[in-house]
Amino acid sequence: MRILKYTILVLILIVMIFPLLWMFRVSLMPGASGLGFGDFVSPAITVLIYYDIFSSGNMLKYFINSSIVGVAVTGGNILFCFMVGYALSRYRFIGRNLWFYSVIFVLMIPVHIMIIPLYLLIYKLGLYDTYAALILPFLVNPIGIFLIKQYIDTLPSSMEEAARIDGAGEFRVLFRIVMPLCKPALAVLAIQVFLTNWNSFLFPFILTSSESVRTLPVGLALYQGHQAIDWPHLMAGSSLAVIPVLVIFLLFQRHIISGITAGAIKQ
Amino acid sequence: MKKSQLAGYLFASPWVITFLVFWLFPLLFSLYLGFTDYKLLKPTYNWVGLNNFVALFSDSEFLDSLKNTFIFVIGTIPFTTVIALVFALLLNKNFPGRTLFRSAYFMPSITSMVVIALIFTNLYSRGGYLYMLADMIGLSPPENGFLLSNKTALFSVMAMDIWMSVGYYMLLFLAGLKSIPEELYEAAEVAGAGAFRKFFSITLPLLKPVTLFIIVINTIKSFQVFVEIFVMTKGRYDSATAVYFIYETGLSRFEFGYASAAAYILFLIIAVFSFAQFGLLKQRGMR
Repeated sequence: MRILKYTILVLILIVMIFPLLWMFRVSLMPGASGLGFGDFVSPAITVLIYYDIFSSGNMLKYFINSSIVGVAVTGGNILFCFMVGYALSRYRFIGRNLWFYSVIFVLMIPVHIMIIPLYLLIYKLGLYDTYAALILPFLVNPIGIFLIKQYIDTLPSSMEEAARIDGAGEFRVLFRIVMPLCKPALAVLAIQVFLTNWNSFLFPFILTSSESVRTLPVGLALYQGHQAIDWPHLMAGSSLAVIPVLVIFLLFQRHIISGITAGAIKQ
Repeated sequence: MKKSQLAGYLFASPWVITFLVFWLFPLLFSLYLGFTDYKLLKPTYNWVGLNNFVALFSDSEFLDSLKNTFIFVIGTIPFTTVIALVFALLLNKNFPGRTLFRSAYFMPSITSMVVIALIFTNLYSRGGYLYMLADMIGLSPPENGFLLSNKTALFSVMAMDIWMSVGYYMLLFLAGLKSIPEELYEAAEVAGAGAFRKFFSITLPLLKPVTLFIIVINTIKSFQVFVEIFVMTKGRYDSATAVYFIYETGLSRFEFGYASAAAYILFLIIAVFSFAQFGLLKQRGMR
């Protein structure tokens, strides 16, 4: 019984990880032509293609673009989702409920509806094909606000009140008192935002056209447009897109899983 | 009090601005566009009432894309849900190696969709591993590969999508299983219930909320399938979905008005489904 269970689990494991292993294997192929089974198990390995994509072509550029956009968007979300989540949780300002409903509303909007109008808006604002187009609309997101607000709701406000009595201003309370307490939630938020942004294709694709601002997923998807696909190069570029995700996943697995399941249980 | 009002608004302002500029305005603007004949390279545009919507319902390209979208949704969700549940049940109890299996099963769902789609483009092509595998077990795959045939293109993308997303829903099921109190099983055992009885009388009913949640979010996501279609088939071989149609008419042929109308039709379909399913959730008293 036990052997049977492990056999099943291992078979599923092979099915689930084979495509990614295949990607890494092809990216290390010495010859561009052979992709048969013999080539897959052969010990011949070269890192020449990685040297190649780092020294010429646009892959490295795409990688840098993805990193710039990813870091900017993640930083923005940590700061802004935190500020907004705090405001919605603690302050009783006019229209607070309205703004909270707007968060829930956007949470439920299917993003496909934004393709045309966001493209036109970014174009009219003169931001088309710039980093700003990939960053500005995404600096704060409803899921993040929701997550932080729920988290701050569970924190006691006694420390904030004590600090105010001691004469601390609102900014000081926000960043010196509350922010350190929110570290666990902010970590979950940062990881989720970075991974989503790093993998995102639709908006980076429709909001840019030139290679100089193209992110890695867009560059990879459009690489196919060339006549004969150079699989080793394409898979080396794909590995560049996957390796950071793998590293983050291995380092922060607990955060990722708790972020995903927290959302489900709340519903 | 006044100071608090000001600070509240100041701290909420990043969202207020983002919401108004990047969500509410585009949303209303595209609703308006749906009633116009706005195109690129046309200096003026006019209000055309319901013309776009009427035209869409006799546009076979649009209707086909809707049909393909429904096939995609109906054909993937049952498989994804059941397989995810099976994976979760296999990994529910603690045993050596559990974390490794869980991580490996989950891995595809946080990998870039573009990368996964590229890998499968090769695996599905003539001479690719999945092609050879199908050939070996006598399935006689289409001559030019799975993605270059009207019969198999869409289904191949669907199969990949199931493979990719089961790990994510497995995690949700695992969280659901964890929330079932152990005492229920103990009590059932005392009463002499077997494994099957326990599964159908305890596990399955108590997983209903998480199952419905999974179906709701997967439905909404699947209605918007686009990236894998763009990368793998470019909508050819009878595989164009609704969002692919919106992209192509809007940003490739630049018929902004027509594409916006199509986007709103899909929006309404999704809204009906999510309301119906949330209604179901409430009706069963699970919220």
